[in-house]
Amino acid sequence: MVSKRAAKLVTIGVIVAGTLVAESKREYHFSVGPKAGVSVMNPYGSISVKPSLNNTVVVNAILHSDKVEVDNSQNGNRVDIQSHLLAGADADSGRVDYEVLVPADASVTLHSSTGSLRAEKLHGDVSLEGAGAAVDVRDVSDAHVHVKTMNGAVNLDNIQNGHVEVDSLSGDVTLRSVTGPLVQVVSTSGRINYFGDFGNSGEYRLTSHSGDIEATIPEWTSADVSARSVRGEVHDDIPLQPKNHTWFPVNKGRAFAGTMGRVAVSSTVVLRTFSGKIHLRKRSEKQ
Amino acid sequence: MNCVELQQSLAELEDSGSVEQLAHLRACPACSALVRDLNQIAAAASRLQAANEPSPRVWNSIEAVLLEEGLIRPQRASRWLIPSFGTRWGAARWLVPMAAMLLLALGISLRRELQPAQLGQQASVAISAANPMDLNDDDLRQEIADSAPEVKTQYEENLRQVNDSIRDAQGVVDETPNDEDARRSLMDAYQQKAMLFELAMDRSAE
Repeated sequence: MVSKRAAKLVTIGVIVAGTLVAESKREYHFSVGPKAGVSVMNPYGSISVKPSLNNTVVVNAILHSDKVEVDNSQNGNRVDIQSHLLAGADADSGRVDYEVLVPADASVTLHSSTGSLRAEKLHGDVSLEGAGAAVDVRDVSDAHVHVKTMNGAVNLDNIQNGHVEVDSLSGDVTLRSVTGPLVQVVSTSGRINYFGDFGNSGEYRLTSHSGDIEATIPEWTSADVSARSVRGEVHDDIPLQPKNHTWFPVNKGRAFAGTMGRVAVSSTVVLRTFSGKIHLRKRSEKQ
Repeated sequence: MNCVELQQSLAELEDSGSVEQLAHLRACPACSALVRDLNQIAAAASRLQAANEPSPRVWNSIEAVLLEEGLIRPQRASRWLIPSFGTRWGAARWLVPMAAMLLLALGISLRRELQPAQLGQQASVAISAANPMDLNDDDLRQEIADSAPEVKTQYEENLRQVNDSIRDAQGVVDETPNDEDARRSLMDAYQQKAMLFELAMDRSAE
């Protein structure tokens, strides 16, 4: 009995030890100038980017097996990091998780098919792409934020003065306090949620095919709003001043158009879906 | 009042324009630019020499044709929205508005006749631009052939959805070819499909 138990413990120990041996950590440092470019291509695994304290790029990588390597190179002000899959690597053994520190003004390009992509507290351009990657971008200002996903959920939070373009096929997209000259989301079947005030004088274009679109805005928002669902319904909790001109027929229940707040600082908001529902909702105090 | 109604009513304006006309001009940059252009034409025309004026018979003929076509009605004592038209040039004041009306009538007529076909053509050009590689579903399936079954299922499902969206958007464009919104939806749908292919190709490159 004792020998069986000992054998089990030994087996578990060997497995744990094997896992620890297989998982390894790498760290790379690069000195860069202002507005550096940093690219991380990672087929399997997560990438998280945060600001560094000085003009250095620090890459911490956790490799989940010896079937994957990290290739890195610096060419002038540009740093490229790439997970290099070796023979026999799959989604588990080829996984690398990155935590990257970059100067806050760096332009960042992240790519992962399956892992999560996260960028925060930056003011350089951010481009994130991944088929199944969940995307989270927060506290970014004065920058382009471009996101492409197939079915990963996209969350953008506190993006100020951004040029934001999100393309998602079936993942849900949520924008909180996202403002800028251009905020555009195109989705095929994913749901689009906007929480915020549509900023000042920007263009906000939220489009889906079958996904619902919901915009929750404070009562004091200034915006010129057009909403249309070809086959679905539209609901508007906020009284709008009707517009004289629309580029589509305003059929009750299928479309609405109007202005709210101060015209001089109003943004243009276009909400459009084919068969989804559109709801322009007034923000409650709790939200 | 819409743009076409405004343009058709240019020759029949009471005083300096009705409330409706002025409201439209305030709201519509295109029409206000047109009226501004016509004013400039009128100003330039006023500088022409009287010797260049064609005989009254020419104006009468033009007027007769326009009346016959129903493009104008018999003139009442009226004033023009474009002020210089009504005051400066005697019989020759007809020159600019007539020419403008002829151009407008021709333009509106051509626009009406050509728009559906032309817009359809524009949409197809835009689509082919967004779709330069003639996206073939089998190509995408080939790209993901070696992927895990659950990944293939995800791509198949997204491919089905994006094809549905293209079909739906195309249906709306076919029903209402002048609907700019519908054309944009169609372009978006094709761009989404192109993105799906791009993601699949990225995956297979890994």
